[in-house]
Amino acid sequence: MNYFLRLSVLLVGLVVSAGSYAANTVQPLTTADDLGPKVEQPFEFPHNRHAGNADKGGMEINCMYCHTYARRSMVAGIPPVQKCIGCHQSIESVRETPRIKKLFEYWEAKKAIPWKKVHDLPEFVRFNHERHIQRFVFAQNKPVQEACGYCHGDVKTMTVARRQKPLSMGWCVSCHQKDHPVDATSTKTTHGPNDCWQCHK
Amino acid sequence: MIENSFNRRNFLKVLGWGGATAALSGCGNTSVEDGKEFVTSYVETADYIIPSIGTYFNSTCAQCDAGCGIMGRVREGRVLKLEGNPKASINNGKMCGLGQAGVQAHYNPDRIREPLLRNGDRGEAITWEKALGLINEKVGGVNAENIAFLTGVVSGHDKALLKNYLDALGSGHHYVYEAVAPSVIRAANKKAYGVEMPRLRLDKAKVIVSFGADFLGAWVSPVHFSQQYARFRKPDSGERGVLVQVESKMTLTGANADRWLAIRPGTEGILALGLINALAAAGLSVPGDVAAAVGGYTSERVSKDTGVSAEHIGKLAALLKERSPSLIIAGSAAEGYAHGSQNAAAIALLNQILGNVGQTVEAPSSTPFPQMAPTTGNRLALQSLNDNMAQDKVKVLFSYGTNPVFTAPATMKLKENLKKVPFKVVFAHYMDETAVEADLVLPLNSAMEDWATVIPEYVAEGAQLNIRQPLMEKLYPGTLGLGDILLGLLKYRRPDEYNGFEDFYSYLRNAMVTNKDALGGASKDGDTFWEAALSHGGVKMVGEPVNLSGNVSATTLVVPAPFVEDATYPLHLIPAVSASMRDGRNANEPWLQESPDPLTTIVWDSWVEMHPKTAAKLGIVEGDIVEVASKSGAMKAQAYVFTGIHPDVISVPLGYGHDAMGRYAKGVGANAFKILDPVFDKETGELAMHETRVKVTKAGKRVIIVKDEGPAGGNQMGRKIAVRLTSNKVNLSEEV
Repeated sequence: MNYFLRLSVLLVGLVVSAGSYAANTVQPLTTADDLGPKVEQPFEFPHNRHAGNADKGGMEINCMYCHTYARRSMVAGIPPVQKCIGCHQSIESVRETPRIKKLFEYWEAKKAIPWKKVHDLPEFVRFNHERHIQRFVFAQNKPVQEACGYCHGDVKTMTVARRQKPLSMGWCVSCHQKDHPVDATSTKTTHGPNDCWQCHK
Repeated sequence: MIENSFNRRNFLKVLGWGGATAALSGCGNTSVEDGKEFVTSYVETADYIIPSIGTYFNSTCAQCDAGCGIMGRVREGRVLKLEGNPKASINNGKMCGLGQAGVQAHYNPDRIREPLLRNGDRGEAITWEKALGLINEKVGGVNAENIAFLTGVVSGHDKALLKNYLDALGSGHHYVYEAVAPSVIRAANKKAYGVEMPRLRLDKAKVIVSFGADFLGAWVSPVHFSQQYARFRKPDSGERGVLVQVESKMTLTGANADRWLAIRPGTEGILALGLINALAAAGLSVPGDVAAAVGGYTSERVSKDTGVSAEHIGKLAALLKERSPSLIIAGSAAEGYAHGSQNAAAIALLNQILGNVGQTVEAPSSTPFPQMAPTTGNRLALQSLNDNMAQDKVKVLFSYGTNPVFTAPATMKLKENLKKVPFKVVFAHYMDETAVEADLVLPLNSAMEDWATVIPEYVAEGAQLNIRQPLMEKLYPGTLGLGDILLGLLKYRRPDEYNGFEDFYSYLRNAMVTNKDALGGASKDGDTFWEAALSHGGVKMVGEPVNLSGNVSATTLVVPAPFVEDATYPLHLIPAVSASMRDGRNANEPWLQESPDPLTTIVWDSWVEMHPKTAAKLGIVEGDIVEVASKSGAMKAQAYVFTGIHPDVISVPLGYGHDAMGRYAKGVGANAFKILDPVFDKETGELAMHETRVKVTKAGKRVIIVKDEGPAGGNQMGRKIAVRLTSNKVNLSEEV
């Protein structure tokens, strides 16, 4: 009898705590910065010029215009040189600047630009860009720069990208424990999966 | 093999320390490489190329000569995994383990990366320009009669180019050699049916009697036959087909049979004739001369000669009479004797008497381009090349797709004769036993980097031309494909004809598009035809069916009496062709070394298979290192005691025992090719692979055999996990 009493108390406690958890307000998904190393690239790509705000001289280009694979693949990918040239062949004003000259050198030699990885995870971690972009950008209608920024920081203010967040497991989990709406219109909340095998396959 | 001194306790200790070390190094030292690793980056890319998502390209497998269609998963410009091409009529999207290991041939760390010219004991890296120039100089300096080209099976445009090159040199010496091939059966088929390799319709047969043809494991086109076999077992009609396997050493096919009959080695022909006699007695109409010829093969005599009981002969004859059509297949166990041709002829005769020709033995199609039809090889070719080398008739030798120094029996003295050839050019993937002897080694592209067309010997339906296309960029810039090398050599000889082609790709594309009408592309423009051919992995051609001919006669059939006992060498050696190792050309692919033999589950080593009775007589237990000695040589390996073998027979797998080739092949096991006796089939002159007599003695040491099965073997340690029925309790045994 005593046993069942204890069990029911436990169950009630669980239900109450679960209820209070669900009733929590949606928590912000931004976190503190933790800078990664400076990465030497073949030439400086000015993210601020391409993605920055117009009042600061930026073009406000959508992240996914160049990192086109992010929404349909595990990796965001680097655009092929072809894509850079697609625009730059008709932008005469900067054609003779050192960086663009370098870009055209690679294009004419038909050589891929050896960009270095700025965000790398250990081989035993599987991070999927597609899932995150589909959730935040397409289901929740979050601005693209905000959604990418949860992990990549405020890229529109950088030239060469630099790691801004720790990208450690604890950091991932801290976000996966927070609630966020299921989609843009819903009042229901959910959080990221916390099963080991979601990331460690 | 694990030696006794290295016991389980030590093994666990090492494992423990290894684990601890791995754990320590794991602390704070992950594989994160910010700013070190490069991002996959392209100059231009197709829309369908998405990083991290696989794209599939069709090609043709090169692991054996069956020519299955494959589909390679390519990600970030690297081929990761192979699957069967669902559009390929030979394998219908299926694939075998040997084929799967194809990626290990490609990424193999022991591949040769640049042309090597002999300088004393060493190979010195040279450029392709210099290598091809040197070859041209050498062939120009000798009489064309003294140039010899030794290859494995060749077909398609490679074969056409090779012939053009030999014509340009003015030499007709092209030797096609296959170490393990049904060459005696091809000759017997040609006589009996009018074609070397008829189509065998396992799926149409109601009974299959296979005389040692391991069609599920390693015989001719196993992936194709496996699918037909599935339909034979579960046909639309609902009547499950019955498979009887007659052989002296159990193969994978034998293990799948309803009845496995252990026959005395070499008496397969006698059993076939005995069955004809029994069928005639049971009322099957048999031509007079055949009936007269087989009249003496009474069930008692056949039973005494073959060791197959009269009861089984009777049941088998009754089954064959009752269920038609049936299919009788002659395999390597029947052909490997001095009277191999006679055995095969007797088995073909049984097929004819049963009326299977035209039913389950079908006519293949001819190819509209005979210059590209496959040239199959045999062991006689190597024999005649060897004779010519011994008589100093060969001054320049090319070797492609074979490894004769490894596969030739020691009695041929091939290695010594090879030394008499002043200039030897070997096309190779690895520094194998033959490449080591070469003066010039030309490194080949892997099958995943190469362009080629392939017409397999055994085509499942119609006529077809398979395409092998690169699945990724070359790993090493210094390798070339056979086509490119031949084209380069032809440019020296026939510049007007070939200088217009930049590389073999442009030659191939031009040749295919020019002939697109005959290749089924009449309605398409050149580019569309070519794209479609690449995307399908091949083209279907319009072939004429060949008529099956050949007469039913027993007049020339003389099957000799069984062997007489040899007191010094009392046992018969059966060199086994395993599904993974075959003739040993893939031995440097660790997956194949690691995948257990299907029957014994042994990995990474050779073994000597023997019957428990034989083992008891010789005082041998499992793991004893034994010496197997023939008149021609001796080898040592671990003994494995196994009931699936005739007591008069021992068996050793082929393909092991390399003393070169690479880190995974070298020093693993012993080479059974070396100890084969020089006995030849009387009609075709082929080396009779099963004729070697041996004696087995204990060499003193004992090891623990590394294998997957438990210590109690098939006994499941008495736990009855899978209940085994004794064969006389299986219902089917009432029939078989």
